[in-house]
Amino acid sequence: MYIYLPIAEQPIHSLAILGVGSLIGFIMGLVGVGGGFLLTPIMMFLGIPSPVAVASVANQLVAPSISGVLSHWKKGNVDFKMGTVLLLGGVLGSSIGVTLFNYLAKIGQLDLVIRASYVIFLSIIGSLMFVESMRLVLRKRKGKITRGKLHQHTWLHGLPFKTRFRKSKLYISILLPILIGLIVGILAAIMGIGGGFIIVPAMIYLLGMPTSLVVGTSLFQIIFVAANTTILQASQNQTVDIVLATLLLLGSVVGVQIGSKFTNVLKGEHLRLILSTIIILVSLQLLTDLITMPSDLFSVVIRK
Amino acid sequence: MKNAFQIILLLFVYTYSSNSRAENNLVADLSQDNVKISTDFLGAKILLFGAYDGIKGDDIIVVVSGPKGLVTVQKKEKVLGVWVNTKKINYINAPKYLHIASNKDINEILNYKTRKISEIGLNNLNVRMQPGEKISTKEEEEWRKALTRNMLKSKLWSLDENSVKLNKNALFRTYVALPSNVPTGIFNVKILHYRNNTLISKERSTINVSKSGMSAEIYNIAQNYSTLYGIFAVLLAVLIGWITNIIFRKI
Repeated sequence: MYIYLPIAEQPIHSLAILGVGSLIGFIMGLVGVGGGFLLTPIMMFLGIPSPVAVASVANQLVAPSISGVLSHWKKGNVDFKMGTVLLLGGVLGSSIGVTLFNYLAKIGQLDLVIRASYVIFLSIIGSLMFVESMRLVLRKRKGKITRGKLHQHTWLHGLPFKTRFRKSKLYISILLPILIGLIVGILAAIMGIGGGFIIVPAMIYLLGMPTSLVVGTSLFQIIFVAANTTILQASQNQTVDIVLATLLLLGSVVGVQIGSKFTNVLKGEHLRLILSTIIILVSLQLLTDLITMPSDLFSVVIRK
Repeated sequence: MKNAFQIILLLFVYTYSSNSRAENNLVADLSQDNVKISTDFLGAKILLFGAYDGIKGDDIIVVVSGPKGLVTVQKKEKVLGVWVNTKKINYINAPKYLHIASNKDINEILNYKTRKISEIGLNNLNVRMQPGEKISTKEEEEWRKALTRNMLKSKLWSLDENSVKLNKNALFRTYVALPSNVPTGIFNVKILHYRNNTLISKERSTINVSKSGMSAEIYNIAQNYSTLYGIFAVLLAVLIGWITNIIFRKI
């Protein structure tokens, strides 16, 4: 059944959107990331204008994140203190991001920046995660399970304003999570993502948080970043399509619940191996689109 | 059946009034002159039909033109291995919707001069580059062709020669297709009756395309109360996320 999207100003098949939403929700529930970075390219591929895709995906992310956080909270898998510090940076970052988004749209380079950002971040993070999780899988297969340090200590841990995060068993400077939140917030607003695919590896590799807490805590901060992005996009650019977002989130909230039931079935390193493979494939696809000569070098933009 | 009946009625009216109206003896009507874009809108197909006082060999050309405005054409170039939009030209007075239909090739109906003067044909429109655009004449042609090509691809422009059906040199009918991405506004419909490159009679009409129902209301709220709309969108998402969690907790 087709439904006319009031802001995107075009009809779209409602079952296709529900299906895409639930698949993305499933991945999101399973690994805690992947809501936006797969959804936004799919929406653009379906012909939704990129500003509407980015803003509406940010809107839909709120629902599965709420739903996911409540499940993880019940299991005690959320570090609220760390989450709050992260979201302070995130909310500030997403405000900067929406302003940048406006500027890029004005000079006509928004689409390029969105795509290029995806290629750069997805390929770096995908490869890092792939190598790391592959190493873990191979090591466990050989039977050499060695309990090492909780995390590596680097100069990042020497920054001032040190605070204790009991839940995460960390004693680090709050500047680090605020900075991570800020960068992720900027990218979240421009790329139409919650930022999970950047913040999850950052929490594991830069902050050294326990993997079990990472998913719930990242979902917690995504709620606020996504909500802030939605309100700013709506008020500054009028690009939030509530019909598109609602269809997507109806699918994704169901998917995320089913996905989260499987988190205890699959091992952490296997999850990360699967996710990193998906990330690498998406980035390769986007890179191919950027470097392949388009069938028509010219395109047309109809102004309001 | 209803359309057939209307055509018969029109013909009837026309036959009895033609003697008194020698000047403009062309009548036309649309199956729909008010198009509402609502939640189930997938585009529209409008029947345009009428009667004319013709002889063998006469031709009918139909031009439907939507609101006019600014259209930007962009060109990509390879920069550091990546295809990037590097140049753009703004066109003013470009119709955001255009449909040209005729009973045979327009080049056979009108000569070059008439086509230019009457602005009939995709290359004869009064579309101009925005003052200040610096570009050579050769390039200008390439860009103008790109505009036409891309507008045709988006289905917002269409040229449908041989699509106007003539009957007994007195009746004509054709369909006007509005795609789902059609802009809103007043669309001007011109029906032109030609004989040997000369305009014999003409008729004008309009189609009003507007948003309606829930889709119109959502659009208006998003435009006029944008911050409240954003807050509502977030609250709706929070509510749905929370409710699903309650449902799934019990399963």
